[in-house]
Amino acid sequence: MRVLVVDPDPARAALVVEGLAGVHPLEVRHATIFNEHEAAVFEPDVVVVAADSPDRDTLESLQDASVVNPRPVVMFVDRSEPGLAEAAVRAGVAAYIVDGLAPARVRDILEVAMSRFRLMHQLRQDLEKAKADLASRKTVERAKALLMKERGLEEEQAYKLLRKLSMDTGRPLGAVAADLLAFAGVLKGDGA
Amino acid sequence: MSGAGDLINLGFVPLNDAAPLIVAQERGFFAAEGLSVRLSREVSWATVRDKVAAGALDGAHMLAPIILASTLGAGGEPQPMIAPMALNRSGAAFTLSRRLTVGFAPGESRREALTRLIAERRAQGESQLVFAVVFTYSMHNYLLRYWLAEAGIDPDQDVRITVAPPSRMASRLAAGELDGFCSGEPWNAVAEDEGLGEVAVRAYEVWQDGPEKVFGVTADWAQRNPEVLQALLRALLKAAAWSADPEHRAQLAQMLARPEYVHASVGSIARSLPTTSFHHNSANAPLPVQAGWLLSQMTRWGQASRDVDVRSVAEQVYRLDLYNQAAGDLGWAQVSAPETADGFADGRVFRLDDARAYAESFALGRMRT
Repeated sequence: MRVLVVDPDPARAALVVEGLAGVHPLEVRHATIFNEHEAAVFEPDVVVVAADSPDRDTLESLQDASVVNPRPVVMFVDRSEPGLAEAAVRAGVAAYIVDGLAPARVRDILEVAMSRFRLMHQLRQDLEKAKADLASRKTVERAKALLMKERGLEEEQAYKLLRKLSMDTGRPLGAVAADLLAFAGVLKGDGA
Repeated sequence: MSGAGDLINLGFVPLNDAAPLIVAQERGFFAAEGLSVRLSREVSWATVRDKVAAGALDGAHMLAPIILASTLGAGGEPQPMIAPMALNRSGAAFTLSRRLTVGFAPGESRREALTRLIAERRAQGESQLVFAVVFTYSMHNYLLRYWLAEAGIDPDQDVRITVAPPSRMASRLAAGELDGFCSGEPWNAVAEDEGLGEVAVRAYEVWQDGPEKVFGVTADWAQRNPEVLQALLRALLKAAAWSADPEHRAQLAQMLARPEYVHASVGSIARSLPTTSFHHNSANAPLPVQAGWLLSQMTRWGQASRDVDVRSVAEQVYRLDLYNQAAGDLGWAQVSAPETADGFADGRVFRLDDARAYAESFALGRMRT
């Protein structure tokens, strides 16, 4: 397991090391400031950061769906800030460690954070795919309607024609349908 | 529910435009309303948002797009927040590293020079320039993207945009990790005064009187504490008017420079204060049309769905009614909500009713399908 602990205070990194004793292979790196380049080279499985660190904003931007390799982020939270940890979790932090926690619990928390993060990431990708599929189906419907109107085809014939175009060109049905709609637009004078 | 006399916790991030909160505390505007306020200096916008959401802070100096993103649930679960007043307009700037600007030809505009440099670097197979903004959901991000895209520079392909804390921008510029950054003041002035960078463009040169920081609370807190909220708004409005007075500038700079507030040089703060509009031209009125423009850019760059009901979200979040109530109590003019926003350098006009078509009208964008 590779863990990056971003904290000016080395005590928390020591706590993480102690809590992960027995994990092999294990590499815990401690940095006072988060450096994107160093982090990309190190490729941590999980990043641990203090809730009061200025680097939280940078780490949060790396959670974006568009980022190639997002990492789960676990946050150290002061006990005197009730509710903050839960709010952070709602906003995308994978898990949190309350200051003063026994090292024995650290390993569980990091492992739960990693699996929870993988699950959330998968769900998000599935959702994006479902949305894309729906959009593609709508495009196909519109292309089919266009063919029926312009070529006087039955619905099934229109669909077969689209399928044939898709197979002939080796491109997805949705892409062929989108092209057809775009070309029809140009022929009618849209976007000219 | 907070009553008069209960301690109210308000957060701010070290920037010039936190002035209304700091002035309201230091000059006794909160006290005059019978409010007892504790200011909490925060170092990250994510923490400000989480603390407001969790109730650890009652309200805060916030980036307007964070309030919109939280309400929409972009990047997390929805948490409805509102902006009952704007703290300022303008004030942000984009600073380029001196390492780049020394090579720029004298008569050439900064953007032309940058466009040329990016093309040269691409032709020579060099790495992308790296620019930092203060948060993914920030006016700074949309401003920089708008300005780059207008010149045909694709902010996602031709350069790399990253996030860094404002107070660390100058040191990262010095370390060569950044080629430029877009943030609020005084951090652009600090980078210039340390000889590390040069301002390439200021927010008001892209959009005259565009939106900046707001005072943010959760919708739930506002509903439970209507009287305390109005008292806070009256104090903050008076403090904003005080901050805008040029006669107070030297005193304000001294106040902000203190370690418990912005913690930067008095000279850099004083020099950069005039770029921020704290009060004039109804700068404190939260205009839904400005929230609508921010939503149009969130849509344009794929942060929000193109199906967002821009008018309804903008009006739900930017509570001009709450501002007008406080302004009325102070005897100030009532502000009505305009349907359009202009003052853009490119001559475009944004219409609240036409937000989606506006977002789609740009040559460069990442609209979600």
